[in-house]
Amino acid sequence: MGTDNNLAAVLESLQPSPGDTGLISADPYLCAQLLGVDGVAVCVLTDGGPGELLWSTGGTGAWLADVQYTLGQGPCLDVAASCAPVFAPDLSRLPPGRWPALLPEVVATGIAAVFCFPLSVGSACLGTLTLHRTVPGPLPDSAMTDAWLVADALSAVLLRGGPQQEAFAAGETSDFYGAVVHQATGMVSVQASVPLAQALLRLRAHAFRHGRTVAEVAEDVTARRLHFRDAENGPETGAGEGTGRP
Amino acid sequence: MNRAEQWPAAMVEVVDTLVDDVDLIDFLRHLCDRCTELLDVPAVGVMLSAPTGKLQLIAASDEHTGLLELFALPTDEGPCVECYRTGTARLNIDLRVPSQVSAFPRFAERARQGDFVTGHALPMRVRRRVVGALNLFDTREQELSETDARVAQALADVATIAVLQHRTLVHTDVERAQTKAALSSRVVIEQAKGILAERRQATPDEAFGAPRRHARAHQFRLTAPSRQVIDGSDVVRVIQRP
Repeated sequence: MGTDNNLAAVLESLQPSPGDTGLISADPYLCAQLLGVDGVAVCVLTDGGPGELLWSTGGTGAWLADVQYTLGQGPCLDVAASCAPVFAPDLSRLPPGRWPALLPEVVATGIAAVFCFPLSVGSACLGTLTLHRTVPGPLPDSAMTDAWLVADALSAVLLRGGPQQEAFAAGETSDFYGAVVHQATGMVSVQASVPLAQALLRLRAHAFRHGRTVAEVAEDVTARRLHFRDAENGPETGAGEGTGRP
Repeated sequence: MNRAEQWPAAMVEVVDTLVDDVDLIDFLRHLCDRCTELLDVPAVGVMLSAPTGKLQLIAASDEHTGLLELFALPTDEGPCVECYRTGTARLNIDLRVPSQVSAFPRFAERARQGDFVTGHALPMRVRRRVVGALNLFDTREQELSETDARVAQALADVATIAVLQHRTLVHTDVERAQTKAALSSRVVIEQAKGILAERRQATPDEAFGAPRRHARAHQFRLTAPSRQVIDGSDVVRVIQRP
């Protein structure tokens, strides 16, 4: 009954307790173990923006969210648009036209299967729960059932609000994965005298050209290793420091 | 009619059509079965508010016919009714102790005839509005631990979402905005930090220290000043000052 105990433990701990700072307090690694996958990630949609990563097993799970944010394509964006699940149990067998920029990078990272569930209430999509695995193949029925339970329970947690959400909205908590990207967006908009939306596009374009994620590029901007001063000539690296990668 | 007032009407529509929806009933029944396994409680049922305002059993774990009989009778009392009205969970009710069942003596008597000894009711709730209740009944004298209770509430939440899921209720936008608004507000704050950092050649957190202290001192939200930073109106105001 180990699986059941894990499911109970994950469900029990999703809702943050008083004193917790995160919006979701369950252990993502336990959740991944329960569902028999290598990583999980929860992204929540904002007004007009792509999903913001709120909860994940880090590493590859966070990278998968980043790279979709950078490239503007992938299962999370499809799920957010359709509010329907997207399952890709064997990425190597997808037609190459599906997520053309994303697919080669994801496969090269060793991810073989991705399962993305909507966190939804009726036809309103709040965000996504993404599972990934390095071994191809469908999600077994029991894991599928449990994944839907977790997704619905997450939707309920996100709907409920509470003090954690207020503190988060007010910027009182520091643990916001996307903070660096939005700070860098603000900085680039001043450096290049462009609106925020265009500044974010510049960051994404730079990341795309250099085979990096927007989070990595944003780190360089906030650390002032990279500047976007001149709108015509593109970004330049700061004096005396590299871009962090060749 | 505002959103909050539309909501019960939409809920009525759901309950009206629920009986015809095999998929949802199946799902809720499955959920009840999962609940019996996870919590080791023999009888679990999902009740929703019907158009009449009374609660109606929509799905139950199939092990226990006693539960169906218990809820088959028309009633406007019971732990679930109480839970539905108050929106708070009622746990570990000893159905044999009169002081614990004083609000629903007839229900308790029928429950005891069905060999039930312990009862629990958890609200099915979206934000402040209660749409039904998840009920657990045990033939043994067995208390739910705090952890069990949280699991049970999570399952009640899942049932709530499933019910909402099912219809296109949703153009009511149900309170969907909460998290989205929290995130959007946070994004704006971080962007403003970046803008100030660049203008002042400081780190984002240093640059934002003053607005944050100001907001704290005057107890207002940071979102509005952050928006002013973004649209440049904070600068305009400074320049226009004589």
